[in-house]
Amino acid sequence: MKKKILPFLLLVLALLIPLVFNARPSIVAYINLAIIYAVSAVGLNLLLGVAGQISLGHAAFMGIGGYTSAILMMRYGVPSIVSVLAGGLLAGLFGLLIGFPALRLKGFYLAIATMALGTAVTDVIKRMEVLGADRGLTNIPPITIFGYQFSSEFAKYYLYLAILLLTIFLVNNLLKSKTGMAFRAMRDSEVAAKVFGINISYYKVLAFVISSFLAGVAGAMYGHSLSYLHPDMFGFGLSIEFLAITIIGGIGTLWGPVLGSALWIIVPRLFGTKLEAMAGVLFGVILILVVLFLPQGLSELIMRINKLFSRKEEGERS
Amino acid sequence: MFNLILRGLATGSIYSLTAVGIVLILSTTNVMNFAQGDTGMFLTYIAFFFILRGIVPSLTLPIVIVAGAVLGYVVYKGLISKAKKSSHLGMMIITLGLTMIFEGIVATFFGNIPLLFPPLIPGDPVHFGSVILDRQDILCLVTALVVFGILSFILYRTKIGIAARSIADDEYASRVLGIPIDRIHSFIWAISFGLAGLAGIMTAPRLSLQPLFMVVVQLKAFTAAVLGGMNSVTGAIWGGLILGVMENLVAYYVPAIKESFSLLLIVAILLFLPNGLFGSREAGRS
Repeated sequence: MKKKILPFLLLVLALLIPLVFNARPSIVAYINLAIIYAVSAVGLNLLLGVAGQISLGHAAFMGIGGYTSAILMMRYGVPSIVSVLAGGLLAGLFGLLIGFPALRLKGFYLAIATMALGTAVTDVIKRMEVLGADRGLTNIPPITIFGYQFSSEFAKYYLYLAILLLTIFLVNNLLKSKTGMAFRAMRDSEVAAKVFGINISYYKVLAFVISSFLAGVAGAMYGHSLSYLHPDMFGFGLSIEFLAITIIGGIGTLWGPVLGSALWIIVPRLFGTKLEAMAGVLFGVILILVVLFLPQGLSELIMRINKLFSRKEEGERS
Repeated sequence: MFNLILRGLATGSIYSLTAVGIVLILSTTNVMNFAQGDTGMFLTYIAFFFILRGIVPSLTLPIVIVAGAVLGYVVYKGLISKAKKSSHLGMMIITLGLTMIFEGIVATFFGNIPLLFPPLIPGDPVHFGSVILDRQDILCLVTALVVFGILSFILYRTKIGIAARSIADDEYASRVLGIPIDRIHSFIWAISFGLAGLAGIMTAPRLSLQPLFMVVVQLKAFTAAVLGGMNSVTGAIWGGLILGVMENLVAYYVPAIKESFSLLLIVAILLFLPNGLFGSREAGRS
């Protein structure tokens, strides 16, 4: 019984957030950004934490999704639901294309190749006049569903929260399915997975496709939310950010990427504009500490503290 | 044409300097150092700080090398040697953490505004017949030549260098033979970070000084290292020079693919020529 109450409370709390910050839409805008990051980070976590494939080009998929959805909506008047999904699907298709070279590469070399491909995508976008080239894409309309325009930050918040929860629900189901088990088996030992008859090539490519799809959807949300896109937004730096978010939050955990994204967006605001760059230093230090001491990121820390408390409670009871 | 090649060699020598640092660390410590470029950036800002205090630009060369060596030693002793237990990917992520720290520190103290880094040796371009070269380009070429000379002397003629190569060959056997692995590793990290500083200070006068100015150079250096086979210092040197020349020629004759050229090259080589041009053995790709 106790287990069921906490998520319910958190959900109620999440639904109340806009009411609390009613007078400060800018704070809700940051929370929205964190949610967008979280959707993308969940995708990277699936690839990196569950399937064990590294990618330093994750941001490029966001760019592909963002541009696709924006162009479809602006130039061709495609409904939002379709355009956002199309953004995800096209990013997924690119994931498929990148997944194949990934079959031959491991570890460091995969890191270098994905970094190169990710950077190449932004270079190509910069060259394409249709996509606004170096000037970027401006005046992207907000998401519109059945005539309702999600233009205020509060409306966006509920929509994005729903997308995030749906994503986590689906990913959670995926993790419990045969596919999820195959991913984990592949991560832990490719040879052993192969011995058990798991088709390594299929699952590696599948991991890339799913993670790119989620990045694409997040990118589409990003574009409609900011109403502005520029190729430089999706460079190598953002890919590193997602890697850091995923690892800091807790690699291979379900809620880790969400925690990481929330910290990533909110902590720099606490530093104020003058010292905002110091947040990067802080995250760098946390990242190194996590690698050294907390293989499962900050979620592990929370779980440990949680265990400490529950053990105390048990002790009191007995 | 000849001019293009010479300028390409000058650019390429910067790629080589960075690539050699990456390859040295990778082949001995087995860490893919994604902080090589940003280390150079950080050290260049240190040099810039001294220039603001009134030190002659060319004098910052030794400062950068020494500061880099100290930084490399500290990073190895403080972080990398502690992380040996975690995976190689974990150590790579530590270097990514380092880039965030370096960029953050620099952005806090100097801001994101591009700054002008003075040329190390001022003066007009030099004419050799029809060939015109910036003094900066000549400095790059000469420095690279000297550095590679010293480096090959260290690697092939001194005990430390031979020990380093033996570790690169087989760490376990070297340990059995009584080579002080930890000391050699820290020495290699010191050298590599010194090289990073050198590359940074050579690049800064060509571009403007800003927190991300070495990211592109690092990308090119990775291309050069991959081209050279990822485990050979000679390969990295040649890879950098070849890449510099190719890039200059491509930029002149086929400007449409100027930016993406080296990126496509990386992927193509990784897929079809996994040992690069100079890779001696199957690198394992793992």
